[in-house]
Amino acid sequence: MKKNLFTSFLMLAFMFLAQGMYAQTVNGTVTSEDGPLPGATVVVQGTSAGTTTDFDGNFSIQAGADDVLVVSFVGFASQEVAVAGQDQITVTLVADNELEEVVITGYGSQRQKEVTSAVVKVEAQEFNQGAISAPEQLLQGKVAGLQIYNKGGDPNSAAVIRLRGISTVGANQQPLIVIDGVIGASLDLVDPNDIESFNVLKDGSAAAIYGSRGSSGVIIVTTKEGKKGETAFNYSGQVNIAQKVNSVDIMSPSEFVAAGGTNLGQQTIWLDEITRSAVTRIHNLSASGGNDKSTYRVSTNIRNVEGILKNTGFDQFNTRLNYSSLLFNDKLRVDFNTSFTKKNQMNGFPQALRYAVMANPTMPIYGVDSPYQFNSDQFGGYFESLGLFDSFNPVSMVEQNKNEGSGIQFNYGLDFSFSLTESLDINGRIAEQSARYSNTIYYPTTSHFNGNATSPLRKGLAEFFDAQFSSELYEIYGDLNQSFGNTDLNITAGYSYQQQNFKSKFLSLGDFPDNSLDFSDAIEYSQDLLNSGLVGAGSDASPDEKIIAFFGRANLTIDDAIFINASLRQEGSTKLGEDNRWGLFPSVGLGVDLNNYLNLSNVDLFKVRVGYGVTGSLPGPNGLSQPGRGLAYDGGQGGAGTFLTRAANPDLKWEEKAETNFGVEYVGGKLSATVDVYTRNIKDFILDRVVDVAEFGVDRRFENAGELKTTGFEAAINYDIVDSADFKYNMGINFSTYKTTLEDYVLEAEMRGPLGAPGQNSTLMIRNAVGEEIGQIWGPRYEGVSGGNPVFADINGDGQVIANQDAALSEDVDMEVLGNGTPDFEMGWSNVITFGDWTINAFFRGAFGHSLINTFRAFYEPRLSTQTSYNFVNTELAVPELTSARFSSLYVEKADFVKLDNLSISRRVDVSNISFIDALNVQLTAQNPIIITNYTGTDPEPNLVDRGTSDNGQIARGSDVLAPGIDRRYNYFNTRTFTLGVNIKF
Amino acid sequence: MKINKIYFSIVASLLLVYACTDLEEELRGEITTDINIEGISSGGSGGGGDALSSAFVALRNAGTANHGGYFALQALVTDETVIAAKGGDWYDGGVLIELHKHTFTASNGFINGAWNQQYSGINTVNELLASGLDAGSNAQLRVLRAFFYWRLMDLFGNVKIITSPGVDAPQASRSEVFDFVESEILAALGIDSVLSMDLSESPLGVGDNKYRINRWAALGLLSKIYLNSEVYTGNARYDEAAAAAGYVIDNGPYTLCSTGCSVPNLGKRPSVASDPDSLEGFAAIFAPNNENNPEIIWSVQYDEATAGGMNFSQMTLHYSSQFTWNFQDQPWNGYATLEEFYNSFDDNDRRKKASFIAGPQLDFGGSAVLDYASDDGNPPLNYTPQINELEPNSLREAGARMGKYSFKQFGRPDMDNDYVIVRLGELYLNRAEALARAAGDWSLAGPDVNVIRSRAGVGPLSPITADSFLAERGREMFQETSRRTDLIRFDKFTGTWWEKPASAETRELFPIPFEQIQASNGSLTQNPGY
Repeated sequence: MKKNLFTSFLMLAFMFLAQGMYAQTVNGTVTSEDGPLPGATVVVQGTSAGTTTDFDGNFSIQAGADDVLVVSFVGFASQEVAVAGQDQITVTLVADNELEEVVITGYGSQRQKEVTSAVVKVEAQEFNQGAISAPEQLLQGKVAGLQIYNKGGDPNSAAVIRLRGISTVGANQQPLIVIDGVIGASLDLVDPNDIESFNVLKDGSAAAIYGSRGSSGVIIVTTKEGKKGETAFNYSGQVNIAQKVNSVDIMSPSEFVAAGGTNLGQQTIWLDEITRSAVTRIHNLSASGGNDKSTYRVSTNIRNVEGILKNTGFDQFNTRLNYSSLLFNDKLRVDFNTSFTKKNQMNGFPQALRYAVMANPTMPIYGVDSPYQFNSDQFGGYFESLGLFDSFNPVSMVEQNKNEGSGIQFNYGLDFSFSLTESLDINGRIAEQSARYSNTIYYPTTSHFNGNATSPLRKGLAEFFDAQFSSELYEIYGDLNQSFGNTDLNITAGYSYQQQNFKSKFLSLGDFPDNSLDFSDAIEYSQDLLNSGLVGAGSDASPDEKIIAFFGRANLTIDDAIFINASLRQEGSTKLGEDNRWGLFPSVGLGVDLNNYLNLSNVDLFKVRVGYGVTGSLPGPNGLSQPGRGLAYDGGQGGAGTFLTRAANPDLKWEEKAETNFGVEYVGGKLSATVDVYTRNIKDFILDRVVDVAEFGVDRRFENAGELKTTGFEAAINYDIVDSADFKYNMGINFSTYKTTLEDYVLEAEMRGPLGAPGQNSTLMIRNAVGEEIGQIWGPRYEGVSGGNPVFADINGDGQVIANQDAALSEDVDMEVLGNGTPDFEMGWSNVITFGDWTINAFFRGAFGHSLINTFRAFYEPRLSTQTSYNFVNTELAVPELTSARFSSLYVEKADFVKLDNLSISRRVDVSNISFIDALNVQLTAQNPIIITNYTGTDPEPNLVDRGTSDNGQIARGSDVLAPGIDRRYNYFNTRTFTLGVNIKF
Repeated sequence: MKINKIYFSIVASLLLVYACTDLEEELRGEITTDINIEGISSGGSGGGGDALSSAFVALRNAGTANHGGYFALQALVTDETVIAAKGGDWYDGGVLIELHKHTFTASNGFINGAWNQQYSGINTVNELLASGLDAGSNAQLRVLRAFFYWRLMDLFGNVKIITSPGVDAPQASRSEVFDFVESEILAALGIDSVLSMDLSESPLGVGDNKYRINRWAALGLLSKIYLNSEVYTGNARYDEAAAAAGYVIDNGPYTLCSTGCSVPNLGKRPSVASDPDSLEGFAAIFAPNNENNPEIIWSVQYDEATAGGMNFSQMTLHYSSQFTWNFQDQPWNGYATLEEFYNSFDDNDRRKKASFIAGPQLDFGGSAVLDYASDDGNPPLNYTPQINELEPNSLREAGARMGKYSFKQFGRPDMDNDYVIVRLGELYLNRAEALARAAGDWSLAGPDVNVIRSRAGVGPLSPITADSFLAERGREMFQETSRRTDLIRFDKFTGTWWEKPASAETRELFPIPFEQIQASNGSLTQNPGY
């Protein structure tokens, strides 16, 4: 319909073409389907004479009667219009969704066609649907090479986001997030409902403009802006229900007793006692409007999210304002956006899932059902199996204790863009973010778990944690656009200053009188205050973390077919050693639209491009180049002294990644495809390295050491299988694979990733060796069982089996690679079917070739005679004869999977009879309805980062990127979710 | 006009930003420079809290009385303690079993820990020495540094001798390290030899000062080192060992803690009548309130609140023993004593009860401690001296437990007992053995060893042989990180005991940690046999 309208406009324009051919002032208007287009360029073809349209889309230009005007605007197809004697011309530009799509590239934007690096744009209509509680979930599986995994799906834990594998070993692995131009912003600042698009800068030549923070890639988030016109309202709401999909196979009470388990007389399905069907509600209301001079959009989001584990979830309120205005005769454009988020988290106790798996299934929940005399008052009425290491009643854990957090985030950004001359703009940006988070954990005096209920004194514990973060960003840059004949030049240059600060404090104290009230609200009654050394307290403040940069970029477009981009950023950071604070990050890219020269039939674009860029990574913590010391008191006499904990390294510098990317883009007819191959060399990664303690006085300091090399391949194909008026079927496939090898390292080989307690803290399972792929799962090969003990293979055939852990790296050890935690390849497969008012969206996602160490099995599947008070894990892989726990290939499983990740059916409801509603859309979504895998654990998704071991309910907080593939016992359980959503425009 | 203003502000701001390139990192919330805080050094009995605090804190933190380093290495490779694997619990990838069977490798974390702990202490001492203290302080620091080097020499043999912070040095031979240790201590004493003892020039103090080093502590240390000289260098120095120990015994202000030497029993349960009100004699030396014990010459101060780092209660006791002592935290159920070692004590030897926790356990109220998760299905907790197996399924209540550094009621994971480095009782044994070895006649050990036995309530040692003397030394010095060195000196370390086959002589030295060999860029050579 609209297309027809456009054609008629064109026809109309051409009808006037033939008239008049003398020099004159031509006035005109440039519009799009949404109204006038301010800022569009109008050039007289073959000259440098040109102008841009004002806020109303109007222009005025001197042109000969037989001249041709070239009208262009980013995101729209250029048009050539002959003046043909007219003095009043109206040009309607058509948004070009394929070719002329605009991508945001950092400090500016480019037409998709002009981009010489691997940049992928994902827009709202492509987002994942359903229960989305964080922005990154919108993108999961959509971009080849972008890995997003929130293993288990704990609503209060953030996903691991990884672009093209690991790009650094020590520092921040997550891509740099840029929200509306604000570098290093937090995804927590934006509600998923307010996001217009993501631009993912995948390779080094794209990310180099972000310098020392670009190594892990860049994700640019653009929020929705206001649209001119009368105030338009939009409401979307959804309710969803989630249940756990997979569980750990454990013994039923009767199986457990038959296997020799200690019988305490009850039948308790612990996992059912602590999980639930979780209901989540989301509401979003937005209003958008404006006039010729200014536009606005205001939105409010309310999320009420329940986790499947009882007493977990969060309530979030978020509001955002985007406001844009033109001042000083439209020479100055001001964009102001601000958002506020308040979040109350019920963090709960995800550890309970682990204790529910391992709890004796005959154990009673409550003390009254105890098979022997038991003082349940001491434990709040719950039963506890005492005298056992690492064992807690999970129901008591979840119901008696509290772990609550609350956070407030506020940010604003103020952007100025001033047209100094027709071709030169000066841009400024002031942005600030601030966030506060506070966390309260309370264990009452009757909690066996951390509440010390067994002890006659010092019962109960309260812990408080408060943190505040602030960030300021000031940037100024100029933007120069010049055309010379068939050549367009764009130069951007500027300065950036960013400062971040972090502060935290911590307090813990206990020994409360009783359970008559929640003493976390009345800690003055803690008896710890009367005894020295029992109150725990700490505080910390970061230095003024500064990043200062000068940057420049030049984009050259010749003949609208040859594209050259180059950029340079010089950047310094306080985090580096004083001798090495400044780094230089260059990039260069070349792209050619071959179709312009080959003139292939039915082909719109056939572009080859190559880009090279250098980016860096900064260390996560501050102070690594400086010495660190601990302080210890010398008994009660008041003396104290310090000792070295970290040796200084004034030469510490940024990690450096050099990446070369070669890509081919094809658009023709129903098919569009992009293929990228890349190689990235990462050197000087910052490691906490063992040094000669005799020389340095401490065996640790941070050094630049080691080299990684990643090579990869990515492809994305989109095809309109059927594209008729009443039935459309579009299919897209993305595919990615990469391989990362350790080229150089501080050690020839090392073992990481301990299995954990009980008793396996020294069992390291992941090997990293120079010349090998990183993160190899390494251990003995299980061959069978003899006398209750596992029999391991004599791999080197020397007649003896050496499988002790501290021999893992010796030459005569009988161990081998048992798998790798990183997938060989990953795929996403989207299907969009539209007919009539219906749209069906089915998105499949899979990862292949990775393995997981199933730690639940490694600990609890062997039938240990000393373990008869824990339940036994009993998967199809169980070996009932095995009575000793030793890590081996038996517990390493291939975890290939295919998921129907997202199935969504939506219907546009006809509301033409309802005057106050413009549009109504109803949607039903299922997430994870189908999971195909042989993995026996709860979730086959890769575990790319190891948080470390934990026992006695501790929360592990590590992040070891060199130890992928360990499925820890604290991982949350994966869910299946059904969502009913509605979207109303009025 | 407006435009000009805007031009001006753009130019001004550009100038401003070029000035904004300062990237100095000023850390907050983290200590980067060496600070030493002097407290009230005269107030405590031990004399801690002075300018030497950081050095002696370093000794406390050097694996002296906790799991994971020096103590673990000295104890777990001998016949006095073992950690058996209880199912998966305490298996730890076999590293503990390897220590027991002497099949450990250079990657063993305890070995790495012990090495780093000592060098870290040495660095702290070197920093303090470089800060310019008085002669008395410097003398103490040099003895303390020599003590760290003695530990390194005893464990690893050939090590680097670093004497100023950040300055590397080549790996020295074990004899060179011995000479260094000896000369440093002699210099601090202001003498050339212990055979001609004129201490008038010594900058080291003479008064009782348990948390610091006086001349008695330095001499006691020397007697230990001379006693083992033959092992370290091939040269016997028994006369000097006897002279050093004898000088302290004869002239020092210390007495053996025997009858009448007692402290209140802080582990007593009011409703358990068999718990004594006080600990007397041998048991008092190691009690939680042992800070004023007359036998202790040099000890490391530990305190539950202000000087943490002694964790024996956690390391050795069964989880349920929490109810006997009302511990703040649940213990870990690790270290136990070998049955043979336990049985080497006569039942009427007072040291047996003072050294071990064995038999059925009672809780605070006097009822049996119950473990409903018990492996044998019999809930009352009963520490049996016999350990059913080393691996994989040792019973969780098997083995008598280390109780010499006794526990107090309501104890925290960090204990209050001070850890003894040098005490008079050991000096009697040092002199006894040195005299016997110097003359090649074990009967000469009689007078001194029987002083010790009589304090323990047992009759004279008979017959006196190398073997019986070693056993006696074992009974007296259990849990004092002496056993490994003693077994090596008596040539028994490579022999056999429960679940431990004969081992190669190269096992008498630990390997230099693999990580340190790698980090040293070739400046460290591995010991033979590894």
